[in-house]
Amino acid sequence: MSERARDRKEVKDMEYKGWMNKVLRIDLSSGAMDVEPLRFHEEYVGGRGLGVRYMAEEVMPQTEPLSPENKVMIATGPLTGTRAPTGGRFSVISRSPLTGTMCDSNSGGFFGAELKKAGYDAVIIEGESDKPVYLHIEDDKVELLDARDLWGKDFHETLAALKEKHEKHRVLGIGPAGENLVKVSAIMNDEDRAAGRGGLAAVLGSKKFKAIAVKGSKKVEIADPDGFDKTLKTVAKLVKKNGVTNNALPIFGTSVLVNIINAHGMFPTHNFQRGVFNDAEGISGEKIAETILTGKYACYGCPIACGRRTKTSNMEGEGPEYETTWAFGADLGINDLETVAEANYLCNQYGLDTISSGATIACAMELKEKGKLSSDEVPGFGEKEGLLALVKNMALRQGIGDELAEGSKIFAEKRGAPELAMQVKGMELPAYDPRGVQGMALSYATSNRGGCHMRAYMISPEILGQPVVLDRFSTEGKADVCIFLQNMSAFVDSVVMCRFTQFAFPLDYYSILLTNVTGKEYKPEDANKIGEKIWNLERLYNLSAGFTCEDDTLPPRFLNEELPEGGSRNRVVQLDKMLKEYYKLRGWDEKGIPTSQTMSRLGL
Amino acid sequence: MTLSREELAQMIDHTQLKPHAPPKKIKELCEEAIAYNFKAVCVNPSYVKLSSELLKDSEVLVCSVVGFPLGSIPSDVKAHETRRAVEDGAHEIDMVLNTGMFRAKEYDYCSDDVGAVVKAASPEAHVKVILETGYLTDEEIVKACQLCVEAGAAFVKTSTGFGPMGAFEDHVKLMRETVGPDIGVKAAGGIQNVRDALRMVNAGANRLGCSAGIAILEGLNWIKYSGGFMAEDIPCHECPSRAASMSKQPKEVYMYYKEKCRDCPYKEYNKFYE
Repeated sequence: MSERARDRKEVKDMEYKGWMNKVLRIDLSSGAMDVEPLRFHEEYVGGRGLGVRYMAEEVMPQTEPLSPENKVMIATGPLTGTRAPTGGRFSVISRSPLTGTMCDSNSGGFFGAELKKAGYDAVIIEGESDKPVYLHIEDDKVELLDARDLWGKDFHETLAALKEKHEKHRVLGIGPAGENLVKVSAIMNDEDRAAGRGGLAAVLGSKKFKAIAVKGSKKVEIADPDGFDKTLKTVAKLVKKNGVTNNALPIFGTSVLVNIINAHGMFPTHNFQRGVFNDAEGISGEKIAETILTGKYACYGCPIACGRRTKTSNMEGEGPEYETTWAFGADLGINDLETVAEANYLCNQYGLDTISSGATIACAMELKEKGKLSSDEVPGFGEKEGLLALVKNMALRQGIGDELAEGSKIFAEKRGAPELAMQVKGMELPAYDPRGVQGMALSYATSNRGGCHMRAYMISPEILGQPVVLDRFSTEGKADVCIFLQNMSAFVDSVVMCRFTQFAFPLDYYSILLTNVTGKEYKPEDANKIGEKIWNLERLYNLSAGFTCEDDTLPPRFLNEELPEGGSRNRVVQLDKMLKEYYKLRGWDEKGIPTSQTMSRLGL
Repeated sequence: MTLSREELAQMIDHTQLKPHAPPKKIKELCEEAIAYNFKAVCVNPSYVKLSSELLKDSEVLVCSVVGFPLGSIPSDVKAHETRRAVEDGAHEIDMVLNTGMFRAKEYDYCSDDVGAVVKAASPEAHVKVILETGYLTDEEIVKACQLCVEAGAAFVKTSTGFGPMGAFEDHVKLMRETVGPDIGVKAAGGIQNVRDALRMVNAGANRLGCSAGIAILEGLNWIKYSGGFMAEDIPCHECPSRAASMSKQPKEVYMYYKEKCRDCPYKEYNKFYE
């Protein structure tokens, strides 16, 4: 019996509801499987917060991401598996092989709810198997099974094989990209849902861990069912009243943003060299609805249904969502919607992050344009021929795809032009040129997991006017709003709910839902503080891993080169002023290190 | 000014004036008004009876528009419309000033026009007069306010929401300064969020007409976490001169607003791409 098992307390009757109070730990090196009582949940809730806390406890910040010492936490939250709108989500947390940061990536679909109903708040995967394996969970029955016949299969083939073997199970897994340790790989679940960012599939690949098939029959208990029903009615109304969640997203999907962002002159084109894509209309959400759309998709418990099922002349699948439409469209100068959709399908099939994959190819295209790369395998901007093959080669690490699989930062550094990688902390930036939206620039620069729009979605106030319209070119007050949205997002990622609900209702309702479900009182200010604590813990982890304030920056293009045309013409990012204010408001010193007073205030 | 959720709710006329709104939208509007304790619902005349029935057990008032949205129907028709709305249960009447006659300086006509509606509404209902400020210069706004007060209006109101401009702080301030503390000022048109709403209240409005009442109240739950949500915008974004439009306004009025920009101390902000 392991030391941990000896120390383990008996699983007690739940003091609070909502959590299943069980963590399933899988040691792939020994094959041991333990069920442990859940820890840290009262302070860190679940999902991202829970995973970050376990990581801080168990994985040294200097741990090599693709070594057996790194761990992967798959964590649900107290609202996962309940009737809370979008309450089917889960988070994957690990040290990212792409960035070296603490990284969480969350996904929708139905897997999270199923895992919770099987009786587990989280699964911790550690060690390294000597042969490919997958995990089968059916309530209390847990087994680690041989996956040699699955190794090499793409995710859709894996899904089909496991569904045949384990009826009515939900599946999470990796494709060839994860197996091949591609640093822009994505963990997939439920056909086409992805925990896409940070290359966490490569961590599973390094452990020879192919998939989880899960089926659960338990029920998530609710502490205050009447109160919960009442809150559900209120938030359902707010989702219905909100123009984004009730109209834009259900009708056009996330690609409704294409025309909006392009009109603001901040739709990154040709690897962020321009902010206007003349053919944006042709790859927009409106065009998807007119041409390739065959149906819509809603994740577990989701009233929004932003997912798109589509079909091209040759293939069918899910997507493209906004970021993908951009990554394989405008960023590459490609205006052919079918090509964009097919690149998306391939990413889903092979298990690649569409943002980082497209952005890395865009970086290669600019290197080629600037004469720093001579490969025939990389097409030029606007050339769709060869793109799909390149995507596949990235997943399989074939040809130049082997180098692209490392992500844009390493690829551009090797070509002597690191400034052409549009990344922060090693993670490729998404589909909003920060020169057109100052608060988003700060959000990118300070993001704990690297170039990401989801840490604080400043587009919401700065472009969409939710909850108020902020002047997108002004720096005033942006640090304060950015900090609040970072905290709020950390909390919502821990509950776990979809960020799109943030358009519809403020932080207060998440804390009310959490209180209804768990029976533990969470005031709105508690929710803000929990988010702040998670953010600071991630920061401390990254600082210990070697990151400094020098990493809180943007590629020089955004700081020095003005956008040449469109609605954000002549703009650059004014980062220094916002960053100083940000550190001060965070309670960090001038080097971006949380002060002892801040640590003490947060109980860290 | 710090307002509680309840205080702000009591300033809001929860509004549904879209021509395509079916009865179920009015039912929804009334339910929301009860749930959020808004001051009133503001509806088109054909929905006054329905609203009145739905709200009979609540404290929410029913407000009907009259002569809406152009204000150019004859006074006796406005009076008839008002009487019918009051019979159907309206507590408040939002009538539209006859802007064409007012701009022609037919002040007696306009005074009688407002007076006819006030008489038809009394004593059951009080009257708010929509000036449609986007068709008027500052001097005309002042004159219109004085005329309305003298004719017995209880409130002056900025806009219909269908005209060339929505509510602007400058206009609200001017209206409040003109009518004094005892007459109401209602800001309406383009009030989308809590920041817009609080700006109007700070400028002197004591009633807000908006279809985004719920978002405005929920917005209080956002701004308490960050002062950044209330950060000052560039002055031009809040200025009626920026919203002036040759295609929507009379040429003289358009030029009046645009000429203001010449001597504006903030003109450096007035760039096309801002």
